[in-house]
Amino acid sequence: MSAGPYKVCLLGDFGVGKTSLVARFVRSTFAAKYLTTVGVKVDSKEVSRPGRDPVKLVLWDIAGSNALDGVSASYLRGAAAVLLVADGTREATLAAALDLLMQARTLLPSAAAVLAVNKFDLVERWEVGPPTLAQLRRSLPVIETSAATGIGVEQAFAAIVAGLVP
Amino acid sequence: MANAGGEQAPDPTATGTVAPGDDFERLRELLLGEERRALAAARARIAELEQRQGELPRRLPEAALAALRDNADNPRIASALASPVGQALGEAVHNNRQGIIDALFPVIGPMIRRAIAEALRGLVDNLNGAIESSFTLRGLKWRFEAWRGGVPYAQVVLRHRLAYGIDHVFLIERNSGLLLRHASAPGLAPLDADAIAGMLTALGDFVGDSVGRDGGVLDAAQVGESLVWVEHGPLANLACFVRGVPPPRLRELLKQRLEEIHALMHTAADDVPLAERAGDARVGELIEPLPMLRDAHRDEAAGSTPRASRRPLLLALLLALVALGWWVSERWRWQAQLTQLRDTLAHHPGFVLGRIEARPWRSLVVHGLLDPDAVSPQAALDAADLGDASRRLQVTGFVATADEVVLRRAQRLLTPPDGVRLQVAAGVLRLEGVAPPEWIAAAQLRAPLIAGVRAVDSTLHTATDPREIARAVLARLAGEITARTVTFTREDEPVAGSAAVVDALAADLRRAQAAAAQAGVQLRVRSVGSSDESGGEDTNVRVRSLRLRWLALALAARGIDAVAEGDASVNADPTRRGARVELRIEDGAR
Repeated sequence: MSAGPYKVCLLGDFGVGKTSLVARFVRSTFAAKYLTTVGVKVDSKEVSRPGRDPVKLVLWDIAGSNALDGVSASYLRGAAAVLLVADGTREATLAAALDLLMQARTLLPSAAAVLAVNKFDLVERWEVGPPTLAQLRRSLPVIETSAATGIGVEQAFAAIVAGLVP
Repeated sequence: MANAGGEQAPDPTATGTVAPGDDFERLRELLLGEERRALAAARARIAELEQRQGELPRRLPEAALAALRDNADNPRIASALASPVGQALGEAVHNNRQGIIDALFPVIGPMIRRAIAEALRGLVDNLNGAIESSFTLRGLKWRFEAWRGGVPYAQVVLRHRLAYGIDHVFLIERNSGLLLRHASAPGLAPLDADAIAGMLTALGDFVGDSVGRDGGVLDAAQVGESLVWVEHGPLANLACFVRGVPPPRLRELLKQRLEEIHALMHTAADDVPLAERAGDARVGELIEPLPMLRDAHRDEAAGSTPRASRRPLLLALLLALVALGWWVSERWRWQAQLTQLRDTLAHHPGFVLGRIEARPWRSLVVHGLLDPDAVSPQAALDAADLGDASRRLQVTGFVATADEVVLRRAQRLLTPPDGVRLQVAAGVLRLEGVAPPEWIAAAQLRAPLIAGVRAVDSTLHTATDPREIARAVLARLAGEITARTVTFTREDEPVAGSAAVVDALAADLRRAQAAAAQAGVQLRVRSVGSSDESGGEDTNVRVRSLRLRWLALALAARGIDAVAEGDASVNADPTRRGARVELRIEDGAR
């Protein structure tokens, strides 16, 4: 018997790796080729927890955008958590993720939120510095992730589960 | 310096010949000999490759065939060619569409024909089934359904014969798109129901936000032979994945099920999560595909036409039944009247009924034998209650032996004087009364010769006294008068033709009064009534009183005013509803 299901929406700018994070998390796969998401793609995954019932997550991978339009906003209805995704190599995507968080908060005031700063495998090219991340960690959980290598992916979704089911 | 290059062959590719005495050339040879030879070899290799490259177009087909043949079990060559061939084909379609069309034309035709043939084969199978079932009970039922719905019979047949099935049913939370319950038909591969529920919701959101400006929502989607129907509720949506062509009734059933599910979920407290409310086992039963399919079939079989549409049909049936009932009733009445007429004619004296040609409500021709001395049955024919049907009597003459006819014949042939009374009973002609001696002599000669007369019983005697003759006349008239009866249908309503009876009665009474005056006797006339035994005695007395009074008044209207009203408490003839007069002759001396 699993808890949930919980609806989790992934938000972030174009090309930050939302779909890759879902593919890594759900199917343990990664494709270097970039394919833009049209509209939304929904997947589900049951997250096991040691000594406790697993939690079912329904992941809504919403097309990349730096602002919520009407359709994207409708996708957020009923979401229990939001996974914000930014690209560490492009600092502007971090600002976009924070803007999206602000907009999502107006629709989902009680939803859990986690920030995944992706592409940790390219950390040498990151524009986002540790001080910035440290500053952000005061407001919400921030996880460095790499969909290419899998680093931090499980932790990011575990942080979401922790926010949903204390 | 030793001449190491003396052992080297001259460079065939060099532009000039190396002169042994040419120091410069020797120096070049010493310094660059190795490189020059390598360069010459490279040039030779390039020349060879250029030559082979030039030969490649000619050798390529054979090389490709050899590669495919040698690598029959190895897909490398095919996979290597797949991508460039695909790209080349795409490029060709883009740049030379007409050429591709022309090239594929011979292939496309057979492909299309084959596809059509496959589709038609299925259709023919269905139609064969339809033809086979045309005259079965089910076929007749479908025909009735087609007639009632105003649609072609073939459409009804196809709708019934096309199979459909329910694969999956999803109960989805309307707001979030999260899956609440899911049920699949047995034997289907498992699927990610959560993802499908989410995608369906996302698709609905997208369609609704994009094009559903007036509140429209995604109700149905079709992919190939699979159909998705989505029913929307305030808390949850019901999505049904269907194969084939489902009947409209299934859609109605989905709505009903969703309403029942909402009713069940509303029974829980508002603070109970929707997922928990949907966990009710009854909700699970409501979305099971097989029971849903069974209920849809049952409802379809029971007839899914709205109740209102039956009214015209019932009305038409009622009208048809009324019309049929009226026709049967009229037909029965016609037959009853015909039977009654046949019975009347069969008992008509001097008439032998042959046959009756009857066209209901149109015409009637009666064939039979009629004695010339008998009364024509035309009156009975005219009196029959047969509406406006024309009546015709077609008779052939014959000699009858019925007593009534023999009596009429005897009266015609003997022309008895007023004082003579003739009677015939069982063929015996009875002559009584007074008459002149000449008439008596003639009658005694002629009477035995009358057709139908078996014997003659005469009590005639001669008389010259006018009073005695008058008494004889009076006696004859009294017999005739009491035999004349007016018949009534009910109470004091006489049957048709009664006026003639009363007229004859009045005439006889006048003659009787005249005879009584001649005979010197008093004639007492009184009317009496009769009734059948039905009804109470009081009623019958009242009815008899009405009838005898009617006759008295009718005679008074014809100048016979000396008619007294008889005693209504006495029934003159219990076998008939009538009225007649009775005569009492009293001696004038009294």
